[in-house]
Amino acid sequence: MINTGIVFKKPLALNAFLKNGLLILLLLFSSLSFGQTAEAEANFAVCKACHTIGGGKLVGPDLKGVTERREEAWILRFVKNSTEFIQSGDPVAKQVFEENNSIPMPPNNLTDEQIKDILLYIENGGKVAGASEAVVEQTPKPAQDELESTMILAEKKQAEAQNLYITFIILSVLIVISIFDLLVSKILKARWIHVVIMLISVVVIGEIVFLESAALGRQQYYQPEQPIMFSHKVHAGQNKIDCKYCHFTADESMHAGIPPVNVCMNCHSQVKQGKLTGTKEIDKIYSAIERNKPIEWIKVHNLPDHVYFNHAQHVNVGKVACAECHGPVEKMDQIIQVEDLSMGWCIQCHREKEVQFADNKFYDQYTKLHQQIKSGKISKVTVQMIGGDECQKCHY
Amino acid sequence: MEKKYWQSLEAYKELKKSELPQGNEPHAEFSIEGLDESEIKGKSSRRDFLKMLGFSVSAVALASSCQTPIRKAIPLLNQPEDLIPGVPNFYASTFFDGIDYCSILVKTRENRPIKIEGNDLSPLTKSGTSARVQASVLNLYDDARLRKPFNNGNESDWETIDREISQQLGGLAQEGKSVVLLTSTIISPTTRKLIKEFREIYPNITWTTYDEVSASAIRKANEQNFGRAVIPFYHFDKATVIVSFNADFLGNWLLPVTFSKQFSGRRKLSNGNTDMSRLYMFESAMSLTGSNADYRIPIKPSEEGLVLMSLYNEIAGISGATTYPVPSHGFDVKQAAMDLLDNKGKSLVVSGTNNVNIQLIVNAINQLLGNYASTIDLNKTVNLKQGDDERMRQLVAKMNQGQVAGLLMYNVNPAYNYPQTDVFISGLKKVGLKVSFAETMDETALLCDYVCPDNNYLESWNDAEAVKGYLSITQPTIQPIFNTRQFQDSLMAWGSFGGDFSTYLEANWKGLLSSGNPDGKSWAKVKHDGVYTRKADAGETPGFIPQGLKLPEANSSGVELALYEKIGIGTGKYSNNPWLLEMPDPITTATWDNYACVSPKFAEEHQLQFEDVVKINGQIELPVLVQPGQAYGTVSIALGFGRTAAGKAGNNVGQNVYRLMNGKNSTFQLSGEVVSLEKVIGKTYPLALTQMHHTMEGRPIARETTLRDFIKNPSSGNEKERFNEENNTTLYQKVNFDGIQWGMSIDLSSCTGCANCVIACQAENNVAVIGKEQVKNRRIMHWMRIDRYYSEDVENPEVFHMPTMCQHCDNAPCENVCPVAATNHSTEGLNQMAYNRCIGTRYCINNCPYKVRRFNWFEFTNNNQFDYNMNSELGKMVLNPDVIVRQRGVVEKCSLCIQRIQEKKLLAKMENRPLKEGEVVVACQQSCPTDAIGFGNLQNPSSKVSKERKEKRTYHLLGHLHTLPSTTYMTKVRNKES
Repeated sequence: MINTGIVFKKPLALNAFLKNGLLILLLLFSSLSFGQTAEAEANFAVCKACHTIGGGKLVGPDLKGVTERREEAWILRFVKNSTEFIQSGDPVAKQVFEENNSIPMPPNNLTDEQIKDILLYIENGGKVAGASEAVVEQTPKPAQDELESTMILAEKKQAEAQNLYITFIILSVLIVISIFDLLVSKILKARWIHVVIMLISVVVIGEIVFLESAALGRQQYYQPEQPIMFSHKVHAGQNKIDCKYCHFTADESMHAGIPPVNVCMNCHSQVKQGKLTGTKEIDKIYSAIERNKPIEWIKVHNLPDHVYFNHAQHVNVGKVACAECHGPVEKMDQIIQVEDLSMGWCIQCHREKEVQFADNKFYDQYTKLHQQIKSGKISKVTVQMIGGDECQKCHY
Repeated sequence: MEKKYWQSLEAYKELKKSELPQGNEPHAEFSIEGLDESEIKGKSSRRDFLKMLGFSVSAVALASSCQTPIRKAIPLLNQPEDLIPGVPNFYASTFFDGIDYCSILVKTRENRPIKIEGNDLSPLTKSGTSARVQASVLNLYDDARLRKPFNNGNESDWETIDREISQQLGGLAQEGKSVVLLTSTIISPTTRKLIKEFREIYPNITWTTYDEVSASAIRKANEQNFGRAVIPFYHFDKATVIVSFNADFLGNWLLPVTFSKQFSGRRKLSNGNTDMSRLYMFESAMSLTGSNADYRIPIKPSEEGLVLMSLYNEIAGISGATTYPVPSHGFDVKQAAMDLLDNKGKSLVVSGTNNVNIQLIVNAINQLLGNYASTIDLNKTVNLKQGDDERMRQLVAKMNQGQVAGLLMYNVNPAYNYPQTDVFISGLKKVGLKVSFAETMDETALLCDYVCPDNNYLESWNDAEAVKGYLSITQPTIQPIFNTRQFQDSLMAWGSFGGDFSTYLEANWKGLLSSGNPDGKSWAKVKHDGVYTRKADAGETPGFIPQGLKLPEANSSGVELALYEKIGIGTGKYSNNPWLLEMPDPITTATWDNYACVSPKFAEEHQLQFEDVVKINGQIELPVLVQPGQAYGTVSIALGFGRTAAGKAGNNVGQNVYRLMNGKNSTFQLSGEVVSLEKVIGKTYPLALTQMHHTMEGRPIARETTLRDFIKNPSSGNEKERFNEENNTTLYQKVNFDGIQWGMSIDLSSCTGCANCVIACQAENNVAVIGKEQVKNRRIMHWMRIDRYYSEDVENPEVFHMPTMCQHCDNAPCENVCPVAATNHSTEGLNQMAYNRCIGTRYCINNCPYKVRRFNWFEFTNNNQFDYNMNSELGKMVLNPDVIVRQRGVVEKCSLCIQRIQEKKLLAKMENRPLKEGEVVVACQQSCPTDAIGFGNLQNPSSKVSKERKEKRTYHLLGHLHTLPSTTYMTKVRNKES
């Protein structure tokens, strides 16, 4: 409705579009054809915090072949409420409990079908049944390259910035020289040369100033050093812990939430040594508990104060994958801000992103849009079409 | 490298802090943006300009080359299950400050109370609140609050204080010396029980209750008439005819929120109802209730007895009861008497005057009308205003005689508000042990040996029984911010009770819930609901013992004084609350001051003009405000001002007039004194009014009709609307909505102008307080204002209250003129304002016909020139994190609580369901005590707003301009004969 007048960086936008489109397709495809088992994969994300499938013992035992070792009924009881089960006096349950350092497995609110589904998923070696390799791969392959390109981009950007500064200085000097020559030394007789030099310099300097000032306050490729050498690569990448296991309020709150120490302790009450840093970094968690002082993380993704952003809206309702904004986190040791989080970038997505229009009953009230879909006038409803580019979607 | 930067930033902050002025120094004359005087007067030279230019260029260069400052994300160490950062939690609680009662919900974000809402489960206050209740959350973050206990002006700690006070109390108990516990009215059954037990431990302690504005005459009169010293519960919802004498029951009297709900509920004209109650008001000063009366008759305080007695005689004459001789006066009470007689048992006569003779006449009239057991319930007693003026007088006398060895003062401030302050203070000096539980170092606490600061009510456990059988719970919504302790815990420490008050309360409640609990409510459920109704044993109405009536002594020999409580400040408990100080009075629209109200005729006769200064009794200098409707020959002044130890916002604002109270009878009366009033020649004092213009210039802004005309023709008074709708055309394209179109509807017939919405909006939307100077410059920031219009007779006008905020026009004049499209229309019918886009041309302000847009002339945050709440770390904690704090140079206005709309939309999406009707509740609407404001989706034909829009009373404000507002109003209907 109003031209926002934001300059878009085309290659990036295009890239984002391709990526988004691909991901949606993948998600759509997997959810359509394999219904229940895709859900199993999602449900297993919680289990992954303590268990692996063939990856060895973490907090809890390796679940590979668990269906052969135990009866299904036994597993069902144990998964639902292990403490109750152990207290009921089952010898096997008690043995498992003691073998695993007497750490109780928290009870789960899953139906029998859901658990059986998860077991199928485990039997299948941690793959959605019947799905081809390509579909199972949650994070598309280009991610690796993308991260690398992100790093290169960061370096490139620095070099670019340097080039810009040099250009800026050279052109400024050129202007001064030409003014000097024009008024004082008068070496060049052809005055139009002065004018051309000055005009070009002014235009280029103007553009540099514009671009730089537009980027003021933005922190693309910002990668501060955190108080703990926490590696997302180890946690999300190697151990495949679901994002929402730690950032557990992303589904219900505006903040995705930095996990409180008690979440860390779910695993780190057992895992006391890291592969790379030994006990040095993990000890910081214990020391935080001892000192009764929370860990002061450095916030990486900062939006200006006048922007209201809600994670629940995007993650829960919009079904936007975390990686779409935060990049391939599972490949990062220290978090780096991949996108520039500019308004142009937000709006671009709002213009293209499809709303869960048919699936969410909230959108039933948009009768006119529904009619247009029915009549084939439009094929999809984007965020923009329900007011996604209006000021007070984000600014209030 | 970055860490170093952070540290230096910290150091910078520390430096800044040490530069701040210490204490409450009165700040220098207001200057613009830190420029010194010579610069304001335009003496800045070219060199200054160059200096500043150079500085700003280098500053910008420096700032831009720096890294963005490091922002930290600090999670909780252990996150409780029910606390999700970013998601608000609501706790049911109770507001009671010794005077006003309200059942509330406290909205907390990250365990920090930020907003008070009405509790819809309460049978007393329903979802209503008052402006004071709304503003009370700011008191939690008051810089004046004490941070630790004090001993003789020195900081101390609880251990020492407990040891010393217990020792002294023990010593006094052994010697059998008199110790007095002086408290405000306490309606908490558990606290009363605790005090009783405390007094069993220290039998030498007596307990006196003191109310600065008391109603002890009502209790006395009822004792004489019924043998019970009680205040009965009044049913304004059951009364068809109400006659009130100086009882401002919609604003200050007893239970204003409850009475507002009742009163407006009885006067709703929706759904074809045409039955309305009628209110007669006899009063001296124009009160909120008087401004809503169908018939208002200004009387002098000395005439109240006469008029009441005539009313009694009229009714008694017809009913065949004894009549009494009355000297002649110029008032005709026949109509009121006939109306009352026509509605026997469905009428109500009340008086707010604290005089036993007056209350006896009122009781006699109500008895003749058969109102007891119908509109007046003597069994459902009101527990407020338990203060006994006589006992307070005796206490002060005893103190002066040196008979009181110890005084423990809770929630009272007699050194400020006792009518004979000097007598009280001289008496206090003779008391050996002086303990105050004040939250702030107030006038009384300053004179005490020990100050044991009480928690704010939002940090405390408590319960309340404002009306017999209707209990509610106060529960903490935040850990005590400072090293304070609630009063009850102090008593328990000194009485060696063991344990704390929360367990004591729980134990008491579990006992209470074990019997007479028909619904089987558990303690957890009571805490969840916040309210609990005990099974009432329907007692019999006691027999009426007639008393001989006599006229109260009245002095009419000069200018008669009628003191009153302002809707905002009240008795002065909240004099340091900048929201309330800046809240325009619903009648005078004045902010930040009290003043002497005189009638226009009186002013003319005495050559008094607005802002002239007069001397009252040769002592108190006050500015004059010419108030239409003020009784001729009277002067009215608000209580609650002139505090000297309230805090930075409230110190030395206005004048303290408690000493002008009438103490001639056994009670302390607001009226009845005769004062001298002389003009101070050549002296004026500026007053900051928000509305200087009182007419509508012939435009039908506020529309009204009488009930009789309304029944004949529902669109009476609103004929223009149809004309507008039929004749309006436009060049612009008609806006088409899909799914959602937000709309608001305001029933002017219900609105009483109580200004609750103004403060609710301020709290919700982070509206800045700007101070008296800037209000005077017409820069008040309130998104919502209540316009007040007068009509008819200037000596006794009819009054109109009209809440006005952004009308969210579909054809908005402001949108067309914005050069940067910072204000534009949303697909949901909202007129959006993007602050970060606004460049401050103010074209929109000029082009808005409703004048609802506000410009940020200054930076109001972190600016010590505006020393209210947004420049202190503590005060800023009240800000709503969902709403941005606006910066200097941008325009702001009502957003129809867009944050609430978005929140509920998101909730519906998350729960995969359509948005429900009535789900989105905006701040002004939520706590409206008269349910005058409706909000909803106009695209939903079954929504309340859609239905109301079809009613004949509905009109658009300035509809002839064809702005197509989303907000509509409904004609005010007065229950008048003509």
